[in-house]
Amino acid sequence: MLALDIKKLNKKYEHFHLKNVSFQLEKGYIMGFIGANGAGKTTTIKSILNLIRMDSGEIHILGKNMSEHEVELKQEIGSAFGDINFYTRSKIKTLTNVIKTFYRNWDDDTYYKYLKKFNLIEDKKIAELSTGMKVKYSLALALSHGAKLLILDEPTSGLDPVARDNLLDIFQELVEDGEISILFSTHITSDLEKCADYITYIHNGQIINSAEKEEFIDMYRLLNGNKEQLDIIKDQLISYKTNSFGFTGLIHTNDFDPSLAIKSTVPNLEEIMIYFSKKEDMYV
Amino acid sequence: MYNLLMKELKLGVSPFFYVLPFLTGALMLIPGWLYFLVILYFCFITIPNMFGGYKSQNDLMFTSMLPVTKKDMVKAKVSFIVILELLHVVTAVIYGMISVRLYPNLTYHFFAPSFGFWGLCFVMLAIFNITLIPMYYKTAYKYGSASIVSITAAILFAIGAEWLGIENSFVYDLFKGTGAENWAIQLSLLLIGIVIFAIFTIIAYHIANKRFVKVEM
Repeated sequence: MLALDIKKLNKKYEHFHLKNVSFQLEKGYIMGFIGANGAGKTTTIKSILNLIRMDSGEIHILGKNMSEHEVELKQEIGSAFGDINFYTRSKIKTLTNVIKTFYRNWDDDTYYKYLKKFNLIEDKKIAELSTGMKVKYSLALALSHGAKLLILDEPTSGLDPVARDNLLDIFQELVEDGEISILFSTHITSDLEKCADYITYIHNGQIINSAEKEEFIDMYRLLNGNKEQLDIIKDQLISYKTNSFGFTGLIHTNDFDPSLAIKSTVPNLEEIMIYFSKKEDMYV
Repeated sequence: MYNLLMKELKLGVSPFFYVLPFLTGALMLIPGWLYFLVILYFCFITIPNMFGGYKSQNDLMFTSMLPVTKKDMVKAKVSFIVILELLHVVTAVIYGMISVRLYPNLTYHFFAPSFGFWGLCFVMLAIFNITLIPMYYKTAYKYGSASIVSITAAILFAIGAEWLGIENSFVYDLFKGTGAENWAIQLSLLLIGIVIFAIFTIIAYHIANKRFVKVEM
């Protein structure tokens, strides 16, 4: 079953266009949603949550159409926005008491279990929580109302490496039973190498690729060669950088001819992102 | 909708604004004052503070992520505004009753706190709501121009009404002359005011609703 199914999502702004965004997330898996700042991650996430009106396209969550069953589906979704704070001068206790009245499956026992697990103190104000603690509080809320799909916008941004690693472990624990699915956007690619099952890469409002993590990385090769070799292969490269020894460039694995004897390595996500964003600069 | 309204009551404004009507209401004890001002304090103080709070606390995003419809979001907020308005009017009415008993022989140049006058206050709030609420919901966070325009409209109505009460013999009669002693006239004026308040506020809600559907977070 698909936890999330996005088909041909379009949203046009004056200076930005989300073009035919489509991807699927299987139930019980973690999908990393990567892209540079301004690539369209948050716009896509806001469209999924119906916070902005899409121009065209369809969004299905747990098999149901989001625009038709918004209120019902929001019972099943937990969301967190890493950089937005609400009612920061209110205590956790006050906010929870308000929030829980909206969810029919709210479970106090689960809530207190996660508060304890995440070391959250009820009498603390939101403003007193660290960035990581805020994300954990959002997770505690989502899990207490039995959310099946967690949509998290940059939950790891602004966290120190220890807190990030800790959060990623929690993500993995959550999906273990196969009931919960997580979509989280980030520009910190090392997070995904640690815990994502699937990767969706958005660039300039368009999905470049959405695939299983290993498969995703395997689709590209990073080439190192000299200037003569660059001339031969230039047109096949997604983009390249030159240096005094020669060049480094990214290529689709399918376009690469191993008989050329150019040194090739498997790139990491960061390198894929960098070379894709360089592509545009080259044609400007 | 009920849970949204409870959310407004618990998080919407500082509890101070539930006490404020008892403070501003006490201004009814100033003999022969411009009593429209007592109700206008709600427009001057509570509304900008409340909307400023929503903006700084990201209330729009917070509420949008909850499993609620946009329609209910508007309905809850409008209801909350109405509850606060009623709180202001009711406390002012109580203070007004004390005031007329404190100064039984006073000559009022402006409107005395009669039922007819409270009817006018409801009309003033009706005008306030129908300008404020639809204007605010164009963005659901910008409240500056909506507050200025609606407060100005309410003040202009108050000035116009006071002026007519002094200059126009019909209005004078109705509120300060023979009509002042006539319970039927006074209660009808109050009732008409309440009906106008209800109609205008409902219209304001519907316009706001239509605009809010188009608002993006």
